Amino acid sequence: MNRLLKIELKKILTYKTFWIVIGLYFLFLALGIMLAEFMINSMVADINKRFPIPFPKAVLYTFPDIWQNITFFASIRFVLIFPAILVIILITNEFANKTIRQNIINGMSKAEFLVSKLLVIVMMSLAVTIIIAGVVFFLGITHTDMQGFAVVFRKMVFIPGFFVQMLTILCYAFFFGFLIRNTGLAIALFTLYTIIIEPIIYFLLKAPFMFENKIYTYLPVNSVIRIAEYPAIPKLMGVLNFQAQSTVSLVAVLVPLGYSAIMLGIVYWIVKRKDL
Amino acid sequence: MTRPPQQNMETILTINGLSKRYGKIQAVRNLEVGIGRGAVFGILGPNGSGKSTTLGMVLDLVTPDSGSFEWFGQKPSKESRKRIGAVIETPNFYPYLSAEMNLRIVADIKGYGHDDIDRVLETVSLSERRHSKFKTFSFGMRQRLAVASAMLGNPEVLILDEPTNGLDPQGIAQMREIILKVAAEGITIILASHLLDEVQKICSHVVVLSKGKKLFSGPVDKVLAVSDCIEVAAADRTRLAEVIAAHPKFKSMTTTDEICLAYFTSDVRPADINTFMHEKGIVLSHLAERKRSLEQHFLALLQENQ
Repeated sequence: MNRLLKIELKKILTYKTFWIVIGLYFLFLALGIMLAEFMINSMVADINKRFPIPFPKAVLYTFPDIWQNITFFASIRFVLIFPAILVIILITNEFANKTIRQNIINGMSKAEFLVSKLLVIVMMSLAVTIIIAGVVFFLGITHTDMQGFAVVFRKMVFIPGFFVQMLTILCYAFFFGFLIRNTGLAIALFTLYTIIIEPIIYFLLKAPFMFENKIYTYLPVNSVIRIAEYPAIPKLMGVLNFQAQSTVSLVAVLVPLGYSAIMLGIVYWIVKRKDL
Repeated sequence: MTRPPQQNMETILTINGLSKRYGKIQAVRNLEVGIGRGAVFGILGPNGSGKSTTLGMVLDLVTPDSGSFEWFGQKPSKESRKRIGAVIETPNFYPYLSAEMNLRIVADIKGYGHDDIDRVLETVSLSERRHSKFKTFSFGMRQRLAVASAMLGNPEVLILDEPTNGLDPQGIAQMREIILKVAAEGITIILASHLLDEVQKICSHVVVLSKGKKLFSGPVDKVLAVSDCIEVAAADRTRLAEVIAAHPKFKSMTTTDEICLAYFTSDVRPADINTFMHEKGIVLSHLAERKRSLEQHFLALLQENQ
């Protein structure tokens, strides 16, 4: 385990693309949050001009809601896709450079190779989660007034929830990478599915006559997103009478984990049999 | 070049009836090969004869349809692969990493320390470029780095697939020198090549493949020394022809104005012929052995099979 991790770190740490894509993820995340805040508040300002009852200004960064808000923005499709693409690149590169063949020749088993990439996924998810948690904590402390501190950790469950979100979307990427093997094609198909195909299926299934059974919430990527489905802006939502999600449900976590387990199984079954 | 015969007959690789089919093409057909320790073993065949597929199978890259193989008398495993160094087709490295970093990864996979890296880089004369990124290397340097990586941790077997392919004449000479240097250390070498000349110059043993089938295998010296053709001349040409036709191993002959070319069914040494003729009262004015080159032999083998 330790040996495999050491090998993977050597492959990754000096790889420029790795740092660029990780950087892009955090950049888009920050831009997304700022844009959302700006849009919500200009909407509020606009409404306030026309209605006599004042709408409160949205506050995204106070405890305990900040845990939910930041992880919500960190897990929207367009942002989450960056680390997923990175995993696809890391896996398909091994095929493009034929280094997977060389790794096997040099004495790795196919199972060990898969485990080494899984370790990368787990480590990446862990690292990003820790960074997000750190940022949330810092922002929360600087934005919350004294009374708020009693509830600092109340919604912290969104952090392990976010870890599952990152882990599972990266497992999906792992699946695409090992099955398609070609970098460009794997990225294109993964992006196409996540950004276009699944949302289309989602809206078709959400058509009124299907509304009762809620199958659409069990779509693979959607089930990941749904772990943190909405941001929490209680004052604003209170005025709008909107019941926001307040915790991470166990079922919501189990669905994408189930998909991931199946995908890992399929990858193992295929890689074991297919020629390299 | 001649090399000493195998020191001992311990078999390092045994291939039992390996077969692999790609769609309609039977890439390897029921192959049986045994490779002894210390041999420089050539796998010779034209392009598409199944050389790379065979190497792919014994290195666990390609799953055989049927048959089996054993390394060091044991079922193949990742542990047996750690005792083997291999360069397959193209040098496969991480382009953005330095030569040294790439070798460190190889050493980590094999479970060896990093202290052998200096030595192998020295062997292939790449010490000065150890910190350069792999992608900046010329083709010849890449190929040499591949050999260096295969030699990490002193493997018992070195597998080379077309090691001189795509190299310039200087690169070819360097590569051959390296291979001979390694062979001199007693490491078993398995070399796949479509170049007869290469196999002839480097190998002690050879298996000839065509369309996935084994045509021939054995020591190169023996193949080269198939002196089944001997040139003789004598004053009395009629008598010469009569006597030589009486030799137990005689097959056929052609005569020109000066000499007679006699073909025999198996290995015949000129000295034996001389004695034989002398006993029959013929004094030879000319006696020479005509070695068929491996190339002629190879082409003959291929032809016989069509």
